[in-house]
Amino acid sequence: MKYLIHKYVEIYKGFFKASLVADLEFRFNFFLLICAEFVWYASQLVIYQVLYRHTKLIGGWGQDQMRVFMFLALFVDSIYMILWDSNFSKFNDDVRKGQLDLLLTKPVNSMFMTSSQKISISHVPCFFITLTGLIWSLNQLPDFSWLRLLWLLIMIPSGLTVIFCGRFALNATALLFTRADFLQYVWYSLFRLGLRPDGIYSSLMSGIFRKILIFILPFAMIASVPTRFLLEPFQPSLLVWALIMPAILIALTHKYWQHCLKNYTSASS
Amino acid sequence: MAFWRKNLAFSQLAIVTNLEYRFNFFIDAYLQPLITVGIEILLWIALFEANNSNLIGGFTKEAYLAYGVWAPFLGRVAISWMYESMMVEDVASGNINIVLTRPISFYEYYLSQLMGYKVITTFLSLLVPLFVSFYFKLPVQYEKIPLALTLVFFYLFLLHTMSFIVSSIAFFITKVRSFTLIKNLSLFVLAGELVPFDLMPETLKNVLTALPFSSGVYIPVAYITGRIDHRVVMNGFISVFVSFILFSIVARMIWKKGLLEYTGTGA
Repeated sequence: MKYLIHKYVEIYKGFFKASLVADLEFRFNFFLLICAEFVWYASQLVIYQVLYRHTKLIGGWGQDQMRVFMFLALFVDSIYMILWDSNFSKFNDDVRKGQLDLLLTKPVNSMFMTSSQKISISHVPCFFITLTGLIWSLNQLPDFSWLRLLWLLIMIPSGLTVIFCGRFALNATALLFTRADFLQYVWYSLFRLGLRPDGIYSSLMSGIFRKILIFILPFAMIASVPTRFLLEPFQPSLLVWALIMPAILIALTHKYWQHCLKNYTSASS
Repeated sequence: MAFWRKNLAFSQLAIVTNLEYRFNFFIDAYLQPLITVGIEILLWIALFEANNSNLIGGFTKEAYLAYGVWAPFLGRVAISWMYESMMVEDVASGNINIVLTRPISFYEYYLSQLMGYKVITTFLSLLVPLFVSFYFKLPVQYEKIPLALTLVFFYLFLLHTMSFIVSSIAFFITKVRSFTLIKNLSLFVLAGELVPFDLMPETLKNVLTALPFSSGVYIPVAYITGRIDHRVVMNGFISVFVSFILFSIVARMIWKKGLLEYTGTGA
């Protein structure tokens, strides 16, 4: 076991070095990628700034609470972008051009190999900016208990599992259809559910839709539920779910990946 | 005549290529718009229910639902990710050599394909917003849709010229993916897909409406939902036309300079 962990740590170090060199090779592109991320984050913040011009509460939260939610959502998103997004973005191309075959023959876990080869260094500044934004927004709350931040040690990995498994499962579908580039856009659409507070769905279908977003399509676990752990009274049932859910999602994703691999007919000659 | 035959052939090529992978096409034409429309509708219904109010920013729930249905639909039409990436890739990888030796310009070659692809996906996926608008009895003036779509397709010429500029920059800088990202994310905001301009402060709303980018989403959607009149649409056509001329001049300059810099290898 110790050897296995050491092996993966060493491989990951190698991936990191290669990614750093590759990203810094094109410095202007690197700089503009950072700018592009800021445009994206700013646009997400603008939505709520504009909506709060016309209403005092959205989903039971005022502007201060909503800022905490948005910065937390963007913070989780930045971690996902650093660790996995560039791998998932090129996955469909790898399948179509037959490059996936090479990755599958490596003597390491195929899920690890296809999802972690490239680390996006250009998103590291976004990580620090969104973290600063989160701390600033929490500081605006008059009686916030900073000890509550410890909940994020459980909640953020749980939210990241939702993004990882959702995106991985959609990508794996490309193995069945050879070309499924547009599934990426389906993911971007679905991800909007995670960028909106679950509270806005409380009155919809008597709250059933909100429950769906927590337990079935758990996009609320990305930022909405973690924000509730920071701002609202503790809910033990959600904590239990945050601990169990990642294991269920990873098991299901692994099973689906194996199924897709069994039906995969290589695109290379 | 030969000009049209040539371009039509490339448009058909784009249609055939995209229809070859039917699952992929189904996702693009139906599944993705359906999910996006569903999520947008949920947001506005939830916002109105949570606020227990009939009006937000002077407009009713139905007006926002109509915007939520049509804005993502037109937003998908008025953006170019796939063809711009292909153009950039062609220039950066040297595949452009093949196009340069053909009796068609690089600009035309991809414009015809973009138009063919957009026509087929637009007309097939148009069923989604039409069905939702009928079902929810949304305040949509159906007779205005042809003019609104004409403006969006006119806007595609400007959009393609911007893609041409980005791909021409690849003559000088090998990696230009960041340009595409910045441009498209900015257009997402400037076109009005992110949030209706009606909710913004009056001055900002007027500035954003006057820019040519609003002709991609805000103006056509506002026109078919009865928020603006015919004159604003005409201004949209003029604004897009003037910008198209300006962008074309810039594009021509960068392209010419890029070709002088470029050394094609292989063959």
